[in-house]
Amino acid sequence: MTYNLIAMTSITYAQKAKRVLNAQKIYCEVQKTPSGYFSGCGYSIRVKDDISRVLSVLRINNIKYKDAVSGYVR
Amino acid sequence: MINFDNSATTYPMPPTVSRAVYNAVRYYGGNPGRSGHKLSVKTSEMVYLVRESAAKLFDAETENVVFTLNCTYALNMAIKGSLRQGDHCIISSLEHNSVSRPVYAMSKKGISFSVLEVDDDDEVTLRRLKALIRENTRAVIMTVCSNVTGQILPYREIGRLCRKKGIVYIADAAQAAGVLPLSMNDGFDFLCMSGHKGLYGPTGTGLLISSGRFSLSTIIEGGTGATSLELEQTGFLPEQLESGTVNTVGIMGLGEGIKFVKSRGINKIHSYEMKLTETFITGLRSQRDIKIIRGTGNYSAVVSFNKDGVDANELAEYLSNRGIYLRGGYHCAGLAHKYLGTQSAGTLRFSPSVMNSQSEVYTLLNALKKYKIQ
Repeated sequence: MTYNLIAMTSITYAQKAKRVLNAQKIYCEVQKTPSGYFSGCGYSIRVKDDISRVLSVLRINNIKYKDAVSGYVR
Repeated sequence: MINFDNSATTYPMPPTVSRAVYNAVRYYGGNPGRSGHKLSVKTSEMVYLVRESAAKLFDAETENVVFTLNCTYALNMAIKGSLRQGDHCIISSLEHNSVSRPVYAMSKKGISFSVLEVDDDDEVTLRRLKALIRENTRAVIMTVCSNVTGQILPYREIGRLCRKKGIVYIADAAQAAGVLPLSMNDGFDFLCMSGHKGLYGPTGTGLLISSGRFSLSTIIEGGTGATSLELEQTGFLPEQLESGTVNTVGIMGLGEGIKFVKSRGINKIHSYEMKLTETFITGLRSQRDIKIIRGTGNYSAVVSFNKDGVDANELAEYLSNRGIYLRGGYHCAGLAHKYLGTQSAGTLRFSPSVMNSQSEVYTLLNALKKYKIQ
């Protein structure tokens, strides 16, 4: 299955993102950031929804994220 | 057993708190914010939900809520993380040692401080505070409510003054959280509290809530689960101030304590405790050999008193032998006792919670009446 992956600054922001996105009916999961995708370690959220919509929701809610990629296969 | 020592630790706790603690031990054994397996992630989620609930109670951003071991740790982090060599700060005459001792320790490192003499008249207190502010005043560090007398400081006005002057306002809300309707909109920059008093959580829990207007330097560094490849400490909240594994079990208990406070309503809790306090004070006034340490200003449900010629600890022991628990002595607030003139004998302190009843207050009053000097 292919997902969009958004690297969060911390577990707290990952959990906050999950709560906010779920409230918008955007299903997502928190996972450890896989090596090779982003620099450093930490947590990411994986979503199937349109990435630009997801990032827009995060920005509107002042939820910091580090980076985002499409095409994460899991 | 009747516990009137709730200012130290609230007991009994709601049964939901005990259940949450059990569930935490039984089902949430993952390390939050460290691993990616389901146990860790679901534990992280539980910790996050408590963080969010605390944030809502105090009108804060969720990520600005930091879990600490207790109020003393929160205050030390805020005080030592704010002050730099050459800074001046102001504390009040009613401070607990959790404020006065770290400030005194900082005074040996090039920080100066002034003590605001708190008056019963808030206008006088505020006038005195304004007069103490200097060009290099970095922080005002004050209790919201005295743990010795129950006097409530004019915290909203202090918050407004600090905002206007660009001064960091660090507040000790150990006796106020869960009892007074505190909000980060009141002007606090760092609101520090324990979880095991008015928030009905377990011991070993506390909160440091930031307004986000000022950053702190850290007094503890280590693993945060974030920015792990860098030697520099993580630079954002809450992880910056939460090095090492947090107290998951305590936090989950605290979450239920906060739910309990929300369900009862802070104003109702305060009003109920004040009714018990009024009954107690009225009863004390009919006993001629009792001196109540209380003025005419704004006070909460904490009462200090003394019985003529009787050591406060001796009286506390007499009551303890009858199953009534009050704290005698100095209540870790040496500065306050010097200011109140009670440093020779200390005081006995009455502090109810919503778990106490009017009949328990009468039982205490009768026991005090029956006490005979040995």
